[in-house]
Amino acid sequence: MSDTWRHELETIRNEAMASLANTSDSKALNDWRIEVLGKKSALSQMSKAMGSLAPEDRRALGEALNRVRQELEQAWRSRQAEMEAKEKALRLERERIDVTLPGREVPLGAMHPISRVIEEIEDIFMSLGFSVVEGPEVETDHYNFELLNIPKDHPARDMQDTFYLTEEWLLRTHTSPMQVRTMERMRGRTPIRVIVPGRVYRRDEDDATHSHQFTQIEGLVVDEGIRMSDLKGTLEAFAKALFGPSQRVRLRPSYFPFTEPSCEVDLVCVSCGGAGCRTCKGTGWIEILGAGMVHPRVLDMSGYDSARYTGFAFGLGAERIAMLRYGISDIRMLYQNDLRFLRQFRHA
Amino acid sequence: MRASYKWLAEYLDLAGLSPADLADRLTSAGLAVDAVDPLNRGVEGVVIGKVLDVRPHPQADRLKVCQVDVGGRQLEIVCGAPNVAPGLVVPVALPGAKLPGGVEIRIAEFRGVSSHGMLCSADELGLETRYLPKRDAEGLFVLPADLPLGADVVPHLHLDDVVFDLDLTPNRSDCLSIRGLVHELSAILRRPHRFPASVAAPEADGESPLQVRLETPRCPRYEAQLLDGAEIRETPLWMKMRLLAMGVRSIDLVVDVTNYVMLEWGQPLHAFDADAIAQGTIVVRQAREGERLVTLDGQERALTPDMMVIADPEKAIGLAGVMGGENSEIGPSTRRIALESARFDGASIRRTGQALSLRSEAQQRFEKGVDPAAVSSALHRATELLVQLAGSRPVGAPRRVPPQADVSKPTVISFSPHACARFLGVDVPEGEMRACFEALGFGVEHGEGAWRVEVPTRRPDIQAPADLYEEVARLYGYHHIPATSMRLPVEAPESSGHLMIVRKVRRALVDWGLCEVRTYALTSPEAEAPIAPSGVPVALLRPMSDDRRVLRRHLLPSLAEVARHNLAHQVPGGAIFEVGKMFLASSWPQQALPEEQQVLGMLWFGETEGNPFERPRPYDFYDAKGVCDALLARLGIRAAYQASQHVYLHPGRQASIEVNGAPVGFLGELHPDVGEAYDVKRAVYAQFDLDRLFSLASSDVRVRPIPRHPASRRDLAVVVPSELESQALIDSAWRTLGDGGDLRLVRVFDVYTGVGVPEGHKSLAVALWFQSDERTLTDAEIDQAVVAVLRAWEEAFGAKLRA
Repeated sequence: MSDTWRHELETIRNEAMASLANTSDSKALNDWRIEVLGKKSALSQMSKAMGSLAPEDRRALGEALNRVRQELEQAWRSRQAEMEAKEKALRLERERIDVTLPGREVPLGAMHPISRVIEEIEDIFMSLGFSVVEGPEVETDHYNFELLNIPKDHPARDMQDTFYLTEEWLLRTHTSPMQVRTMERMRGRTPIRVIVPGRVYRRDEDDATHSHQFTQIEGLVVDEGIRMSDLKGTLEAFAKALFGPSQRVRLRPSYFPFTEPSCEVDLVCVSCGGAGCRTCKGTGWIEILGAGMVHPRVLDMSGYDSARYTGFAFGLGAERIAMLRYGISDIRMLYQNDLRFLRQFRHA
Repeated sequence: MRASYKWLAEYLDLAGLSPADLADRLTSAGLAVDAVDPLNRGVEGVVIGKVLDVRPHPQADRLKVCQVDVGGRQLEIVCGAPNVAPGLVVPVALPGAKLPGGVEIRIAEFRGVSSHGMLCSADELGLETRYLPKRDAEGLFVLPADLPLGADVVPHLHLDDVVFDLDLTPNRSDCLSIRGLVHELSAILRRPHRFPASVAAPEADGESPLQVRLETPRCPRYEAQLLDGAEIRETPLWMKMRLLAMGVRSIDLVVDVTNYVMLEWGQPLHAFDADAIAQGTIVVRQAREGERLVTLDGQERALTPDMMVIADPEKAIGLAGVMGGENSEIGPSTRRIALESARFDGASIRRTGQALSLRSEAQQRFEKGVDPAAVSSALHRATELLVQLAGSRPVGAPRRVPPQADVSKPTVISFSPHACARFLGVDVPEGEMRACFEALGFGVEHGEGAWRVEVPTRRPDIQAPADLYEEVARLYGYHHIPATSMRLPVEAPESSGHLMIVRKVRRALVDWGLCEVRTYALTSPEAEAPIAPSGVPVALLRPMSDDRRVLRRHLLPSLAEVARHNLAHQVPGGAIFEVGKMFLASSWPQQALPEEQQVLGMLWFGETEGNPFERPRPYDFYDAKGVCDALLARLGIRAAYQASQHVYLHPGRQASIEVNGAPVGFLGELHPDVGEAYDVKRAVYAQFDLDRLFSLASSDVRVRPIPRHPASRRDLAVVVPSELESQALIDSAWRTLGDGGDLRLVRVFDVYTGVGVPEGHKSLAVALWFQSDERTLTDAEIDQAVVAVLRAWEEAFGAKLRA
């Protein structure tokens, strides 16, 4: 008799284990639990039917039933855990996103290349102890020319074709009037160490290398005992800071009415490093700025006794530096403000 | 200024120096050589030939078949030049010859006749024909008959010369002549020049028949020589070619001689037809009001009393130092020549030239300064050349006014070698300084400590010790100057705070996605018209174009132009800004200089680019306002927005930005008419006055403790009339609860219209934050405050809690 029960129990267990292995989702697993372990399950039927058995058999069967039930419950739990793990894995897999889509955009603007150059140059000179000052764009003939030793009807005026507003007023042709204005403001105090960035205007037709409006950065140093070699040393320090430690400067004699001696200042060509290329027309050098020792007449007219004080001044074009630095071949690109051009200056 | 290598070599030993070497030496001494061009641009295998016979081509009307003697052999050459004729001596390119432009000559057949070479024009030889007389420039280049047939044309045409193109600075007028350049080169190279000891002019005895009267102080010296006869009028080839090398056009022998001497000496000369000078009397005077003169270029010029003229007692015959008059022009029939060599005031000559838009070689030299010592020498030299080349005869001695020799004295400068070395920062040996001066032809006298340096009159640019320092530096070599450090005190730079604000603003805007632009300050009233700016534009006296004739009064037109350009070039939109000046005047011209107001202008135009998270959309008012808010926050400025009334902005979409009731800026969508005028459809503009921002900005931070008690937030959705500004609810809440109480923040976080909200109304969702520093607030306290706010809103605006 008990063999029949045992056999039946064995069959229930085996069949249940087999069907458990076949459950494929949590619903099937739940159905399996109800069918195998629920109130109407064969196991429960057997438990109920146990009352009719002899006490000895009942105990034996009870133990057997319990063992099978526990075994099946254990199997169900691990199957459930296994299935949950699988389903979680599936869900996570479903949640996969396209990581190659762009991130939510943080808009990046761009500083104009001329401003970039100006700020960089300001930083270099400020680190050398220079102050940065600015001046008016509408100037008087007096400051723009006369006080810079360029009298009326002087041929040197041809060097800078001028936009006049009236007989006496004009758009400044250079930032040099700020040499005089600075000396006047300092009223004889020394040392003077300033740079002056600003827009300037000349009556030039706009083309690839000329612009009727452009940007200069003026420099002025005045004190007792300033030497021409200090001019060279300062500009060399500047050149190294701007274009790298291997830079050198070369001075060439030139003429500006407000400096004496005057010079053009060349740097080692930034394109070829001095080997000679198209940018430097094979010379290995590129002209970068004009400079000189402040003309004694300019010092005297600005209230600094030229017998006691000396100084140097220089003026460079921000456009020229920007063009060299960023490989810009046409100055008009700097004033066209095409965003396809400007956005190339996004990275700081 | 162009300069001929061969001419220089006449007066200076250039042995061992190639033209390129010479150019380097000149450039490093401050006389920049822009170009070194051989006169021969590629002529090879061209010889001198003589046309013996010319016959018509059997097949072609325009061609001729010529027999040409090229020195011992005869060639048959087909030629199309109209001026070909038997007996002419011309350049002949033999088969195998090369011509400029990569042309190679071969035996070729022209309609059945083979041509064994080519007869050449000046142009085909690569000559700048604009510098040749017309008859030499057109057709075959006819050469002097005495040239050896079969010889290479290169030396005979003086093509074996090299031309330097010098970019002279305006102070070096002394180098506007071959002699001046030789002086300079002599100093640079330390080689002695070999000028002829003196010019032996064939002077005639007796008084000059010419009379000269100087009636203006602007002509301190005038010399004139009368010459009789000028039989030969053809300029010799060597002189033509030398003028060509120097870039001066050959015209006729008499004129060419005056130009040649000017190029040699730097002293401009003029030749008059002496028979055109009434009473043989030359008067130098200021022009009379209303006086007119036809100049050599055929133009009738209206003269003013500021202009100096050469005249006779009846009429003006030339513009002094600028251009001669047609009425006294040298022509084929001229029999007597009056040669003029004079000094004129440079500034006066310059003004005259500018007033008449003339820029002659003579004028440029007078402007920059001519050596007073050259006046007599140049006159001698020209007389000599006319006698030699034209067969002229001097009549009487030169007339010199004033009669005594020129009194111009050399400049004497006190020079301290020690001060010079200290100034340059390099120890130039005293002997070296002395050698520099001597090589320049300056006199040096040792004194006690200082030297006396005597500078000849040909160097008017040398006036003070600093000028001598420069001479020493450039001849010793700028490359000897070391790079030294200044010994100056360490000081914190006192840069303008203004500049620092600009840098801060620029950086912030770039970080927030705006692109900086830089535009032109010159514009036109038409470009500004759509926004009708106030005041009057500051105008240029002589603009270069109508588009750029006034200074801008506003930044918006400049930025709108940038937007237009970009929209027209496939850029869908963007946000841009500029820091620039507006130039303001109440009338123009006015008593004071125009005000330069520095402003920040910003423009959002077109559409955002769009991305996977947001579709492209037009930039709108709130994009601009967000940036304005952030900028003010970054500068530590609290501002309020008030509806404003700029005519060029959308009347319902603009606001002024105010601090303590005073405007610091404004923003708004462009008025549709303005957008249309600028071709930018829709854009939003914002502007700040940078001076105001600068005076208000603060970067001070004082930290407040973080609150220890929790905050409570209440969200209220209220229905209000559509036109109610949300700020009114916020202000009312603060008024109701006071800003010293537990209310800490009021913020609108949603606006809704649609289902559930009646027509003409909107629902605003407002968050109120309550917090106390002392304790945790109870719900009852907060509810009470909320009720008070709601009641105030209902009373003031009819606001109802949204169901």
